Amino acid sequence: MTTSDDHTAHPRLAPLAWVFARYGNFTLGGGSATTAVLHHELISKRRWLTQDRFALCFALGRLTPGTNLLAFCTGVGWLLRGATGAVVALMAASVPCTVMVIVLTALFSQWQENQFAQSAIHGAIAAAVAITVKTVWTIAKPHFKGRERIRVVIVGATAFVLYVFAGLSAIEVLLIAATVGALWPAEHS
Amino acid sequence: MNVVLLYLLLLKGTVTAFAGLASLPVIQDALVFHYHVLTDKQLNEAVVITRSTPGPVGLYIVSVGYFVAGVPGAIAGWLAMITPAFLIIPLVHFAGRKIDQPRVKGVLQTVVIASAGLLLAASIPLARDALTDPVTIAIAIVSLGLLLTTVIDTLWIILGAAMISLSASSLGLIGHIPMP
Repeated sequence: MTTSDDHTAHPRLAPLAWVFARYGNFTLGGGSATTAVLHHELISKRRWLTQDRFALCFALGRLTPGTNLLAFCTGVGWLLRGATGAVVALMAASVPCTVMVIVLTALFSQWQENQFAQSAIHGAIAAAVAITVKTVWTIAKPHFKGRERIRVVIVGATAFVLYVFAGLSAIEVLLIAATVGALWPAEHS
Repeated sequence: MNVVLLYLLLLKGTVTAFAGLASLPVIQDALVFHYHVLTDKQLNEAVVITRSTPGPVGLYIVSVGYFVAGVPGAIAGWLAMITPAFLIIPLVHFAGRKIDQPRVKGVLQTVVIASAGLLLAASIPLARDALTDPVTIAIAIVSLGLLLTTVIDTLWIILGAAMISLSASSLGLIGHIPMP
């Protein structure tokens, strides 16, 4: 596949950076809301990508390790403007939100002194535990359907037991899981 | 801690995870349990911070980097977060449509599900650190209930929890003021 075939536009780098800076850094409401906005922006409004190309980047973004949204932006940048486009899209989608996080983390470190801030943070942290536990379900849920349910329970519970009780490292558990997955192919869904 | 080593440890987490917080067990394993340069409390705070900003969840790793080594550590975290994204280029370029092969799907699916199991395990020490009194336990239970049954944004849950905790401790303070 080359980057110059059908219906893929070659926008200038400035608007490319703008789109990913504007929509890549704001995922309040969840990743699916961001995807919906980018879908509208890239396909309907600016006509940079075809539906197929968008779907390809979206699917491959989910298969790429790390943050799916960043991989998606990088893939779209690559299709639109090659290596430069990939780098520009990734920078635009990650630098502004990273700066926000650094500033907030620095403030957090300062607030260690303040008693009121500490009690507020104490409550927020309790909510963070709930968010982490909820994420377990968010990750497993798309696979929890039909006959795959047994697979989810067995693989998830085994990973938990191997890590907590058998003392394996997280990486070892993931490698075992990958091996099991290769030997026990998924059903078509 | 050496920033290059920090980058490599964080990268080990991001490159083996397929969703935002899925890298947390690997990072907790390395930085909290093995190298002792991070605490479970800081890991919890990193999650709070990222959910209080509008970026993707994977950004918590930037906070982690900052807690370990200041701004250079945060930059190491940013690099660890963005490095795996480049892997999509060969995927887009060559792999194209092979993603529907059952064996490829099988590997991805079991890795994702195993990472969910690991994340559940990782939340045990996080809970032990954060849930220290009836108020925080109640906040966690109510928050989890809301997250599972509604579509309320996590930002509001965090703000609500902070307000409740602040009010509760203020009331406690008022209770200790001697009556005239």
